[in-house]
Amino acid sequence: MNQTQLIKLAESWFEGQGWKPFAFQKQTWKAYLQGKHGLLNAPTGSGKTYALWIPVVLEYIKNNPDYKTKHKKGLKAIWITPLRALSVEIEQAATRFSEEMGTQLTVGKRTGDTSQKDRAAQKKIMPDLLITTPESLQLLLSSKDYDKTFENLQAIIVDEWHELLGTKRGVQVELGLSRLKTISKNLKIWGISATIGNLQEAWEVLLGPGSEAFKNSELIRAKLDKKITVRSIIPEKMEKFPWRGHLGMHLIDEVVPIIRNSKTTLIFTNTRSQCELWFQKLMHKYPEFAGEVAMHHGSINKETRLWVEQAIRDERLKAVVCTSSLDLGVDFAPVETIIQIGGPKGVARFIQRAGRSGHQPGKESVIYFLPTHAIELIEASALQKAVKKTVVEDRIPYLLSFDVLVQYLTSLAVSNGFFPKDIYPEIKSTFCFQVITEEQWKWILNFITKGSQSLQAYDEYKKVEIEEDGKFKVNDRGIAMRHRLQIGTIVSDAMLSVKFISGGYLGTIEEWFISKLSPGDAFTFAGKNLELSKINGMQVLVRASKKKNSKVPSWMGGRMGFSAQMSQLLREEMYEARESAKIGGGKSRELTALQPIFERQQRESIIPNKDEFLIETFKTREGYHAIFYPFEGRFVHEALSSLLAYRISLLSPISFTLAFNDYGFELLSDQEIDMQQVLDNDLFSPAYLMDDLNNSLNATEMARRKFRDIAVISGMVFTGFPNKIIKTKHLQANSQLLFSVFRDYEPENLLFLQAFRETFEHQLEEGRLRLALERISTQEIIWKACEKPTPFSFPIITDRLREKLSSEKLEDRIRRMLIQWEK
Amino acid sequence: MLLISDVHLGKISHFRKYGSAVPQNAIAENFERLTLVVDYFKPKKICFLGDLFHSSLNLEWDLFENWMQDISAEVLLVVGNHDIISELKYEALGIGIYLELILENFLLTHHPEIRENYFNFCGHLHPGFKLNGAGRQQVKLSCFYKSKEQMVLPAFGEFTGNYWISPNVGDQVFVITKNEVILVH
Repeated sequence: MNQTQLIKLAESWFEGQGWKPFAFQKQTWKAYLQGKHGLLNAPTGSGKTYALWIPVVLEYIKNNPDYKTKHKKGLKAIWITPLRALSVEIEQAATRFSEEMGTQLTVGKRTGDTSQKDRAAQKKIMPDLLITTPESLQLLLSSKDYDKTFENLQAIIVDEWHELLGTKRGVQVELGLSRLKTISKNLKIWGISATIGNLQEAWEVLLGPGSEAFKNSELIRAKLDKKITVRSIIPEKMEKFPWRGHLGMHLIDEVVPIIRNSKTTLIFTNTRSQCELWFQKLMHKYPEFAGEVAMHHGSINKETRLWVEQAIRDERLKAVVCTSSLDLGVDFAPVETIIQIGGPKGVARFIQRAGRSGHQPGKESVIYFLPTHAIELIEASALQKAVKKTVVEDRIPYLLSFDVLVQYLTSLAVSNGFFPKDIYPEIKSTFCFQVITEEQWKWILNFITKGSQSLQAYDEYKKVEIEEDGKFKVNDRGIAMRHRLQIGTIVSDAMLSVKFISGGYLGTIEEWFISKLSPGDAFTFAGKNLELSKINGMQVLVRASKKKNSKVPSWMGGRMGFSAQMSQLLREEMYEARESAKIGGGKSRELTALQPIFERQQRESIIPNKDEFLIETFKTREGYHAIFYPFEGRFVHEALSSLLAYRISLLSPISFTLAFNDYGFELLSDQEIDMQQVLDNDLFSPAYLMDDLNNSLNATEMARRKFRDIAVISGMVFTGFPNKIIKTKHLQANSQLLFSVFRDYEPENLLFLQAFRETFEHQLEEGRLRLALERISTQEIIWKACEKPTPFSFPIITDRLREKLSSEKLEDRIRRMLIQWEK
Repeated sequence: MLLISDVHLGKISHFRKYGSAVPQNAIAENFERLTLVVDYFKPKKICFLGDLFHSSLNLEWDLFENWMQDISAEVLLVVGNHDIISELKYEALGIGIYLELILENFLLTHHPEIRENYFNFCGHLHPGFKLNGAGRQQVKLSCFYKSKEQMVLPAFGEFTGNYWISPNVGDQVFVITKNEVILVH
């Protein structure tokens, strides 16, 4: 059959379903059948799954004319997805088409959850089409004779590539692909990505910069113009609007009619604790929703999450309160409405979520925005514009992730063994390692074979051995086993599992939260009121509680900050707000609603314009506050607050409590800062940035935390057997300890240095920090000595208090503060 | 008598044997430190308060035998939970093995133990203390932890980790820096 005939097959099948193929789907089929590689830019629910499964099956039909009677076995295509729980939709699409075409192609899944029985079966006969995760792909590479398994691989499809791109899992994929390119002769590499700022780069990274594959590839964009409308939920009377503290929950009565009027609604919150709080409040105030409303976040146990996902598909739920846990890939056709609580922190994320609603092509997507404090309305206003202009974030790929390389090489050594001269050009062809030097490569080889850079007497280091023919191989079964158990790059925080004394596993909670509770204390989790009974090792045993006052856990991990794009949009919107405040009314509904607050801010302080940088100082019972407003996102503010505190302390000894959010940061002290001295000494200068960041102890602590991930990924720390506390007690060491030893005895170690590099590049976003300082240095610094906290300062102060106080105490405190400051 | 606790010799080699690349140079440090301390105090007796070795025999034992050759003092070991090496090896070096030692009113053990009428010197905990400073600064240091009836010694060896203590009223904490021992609580 020729290409036209094959495509006709697919078109008829589509017709039979009552569908019509989109232009991008046909484009993809043609490109694939021509033998090209490529990147497909298409959002969830757009038909991207069929865009790629279909040509895979068509190719099989072409190569096996007797496909209806004979079945040629062997792995033919791999679909990689980052999801923990694999997408049912992907499997269904593949099975459906291949069955209805009359092929006998088998479809299988393989993840960390795959049972031993299934794994053994797969070892005997691999399915034709395999759906798996980046980690499981690495595991397959660590299995003996993987070259035979992948010999006839025709295609590898990397789904949600934008999600993998800015993470180490993306590096894992790059490395895996570099090997497959060599051993699978007919391999076609395809990626599927949502819209990101650096799509071209994403395309190049996937296929290898300047590679043959890249030259023979296409970038296909699904031009699905979806109209997105943003509707803010604004209270009728603004003066009654509590500025912060209730997390917007006082607006819950506005949310309920939306839920009632829609078939299924997803309510997105920014953090897991907010998810718990909202669900609790909803159940409390509207008990008639019981059974129809559920919650879903990453720390709830897998069974519950899967149940919720299936219930949504079956249209059994009216609403689900969730976090970004429901963002990825799951294609929920019945979802009609999306409500976003609080700022989404990023434009791409917001657009992606908005696109989940109203699935019929051409139908408008509506996303409701519920601000948790007044200033967020500026974000809402900014997002309206963002959605029109589609200004979305970049996903920055990693460079020189040596820890992932160490893990990868060890995997190859565990399975078939490898020759460095074969692998070096492969890894060097990837984006991540394109700049690796021979010296660094030798360092890595020494690291995995000798555990150091020189041979020393009395060393019993054992990992990868070098055989007589020069092959690098792991021969020790214990080492191989421990390595396989740890393959992956997602390192979680110390999590304790929560279960009922009577059985019943609920999910996981971070250790630091539990450490603050005593037996008998009540807390809310997974939507239930629980009482802590006792802690048994890594397990928290609980019983149901009837107590009214309970704490809601918060999770330190996974906190998002404003993207650079979001910050910029916010600043621009704010400058515009300033203009509108002057003329007594804004262009958007949001800015108009904010008038009374803007007027107050102008009265007591200022709303800065783009050439101004605002600093406010005031005194309260807590002490002397100094608030700075760069509007650059929480991570940059974390660094800036530390930097400034350090630089000020060089002028005169003074101690601070630091607080920060996405808008600015606060230095609180029992002494007054001599602000004039600060300004005269140019403390915002980008000069000596690195040295000063290094000196404010923060940087070392951050590097120490990054090192934990690096130590686990590179196999320096063994995390123990699954589901059990680490059995080998004598191998228990935390990475903090390792960090100190490296600092004192081997500071030139590449993995140790990587921790600092990642801290500066990724966490502190050094580039962005520098740009922020440069921008501030062009602005005029306006210092307002205020008499009391201003509207803009309110969210930062309440955020700081939220860290310490329980939600009732916080509400109380805020009420008292408001009474005082309203005067 | 010189009291030294929790050296954990062999720990680094043990980790390296299992594929964890802890820097080797740290191994020599333990022996250099021991030599330094013995040369400075010139004690008649050296008593190790447990966890002298971390785990099963490895090549660091040979280094220890070498080190013992230059030691003229009497060496005793109060065994700790990590001391699994056979007694016979120690006896061959002339080291006395004990579960606990009583010297006048002092009780020397590995695990902390409160016994009436005795003052207990012990180890096992690897005590450390966190000092909080301006802003979000924090310094973590190993320390001696003294209460009315007990003194817990810091871990002597490199790569030993810490247990961060919260002292009670009346306790004393002496942190150790490179050159000094400072009373902070």
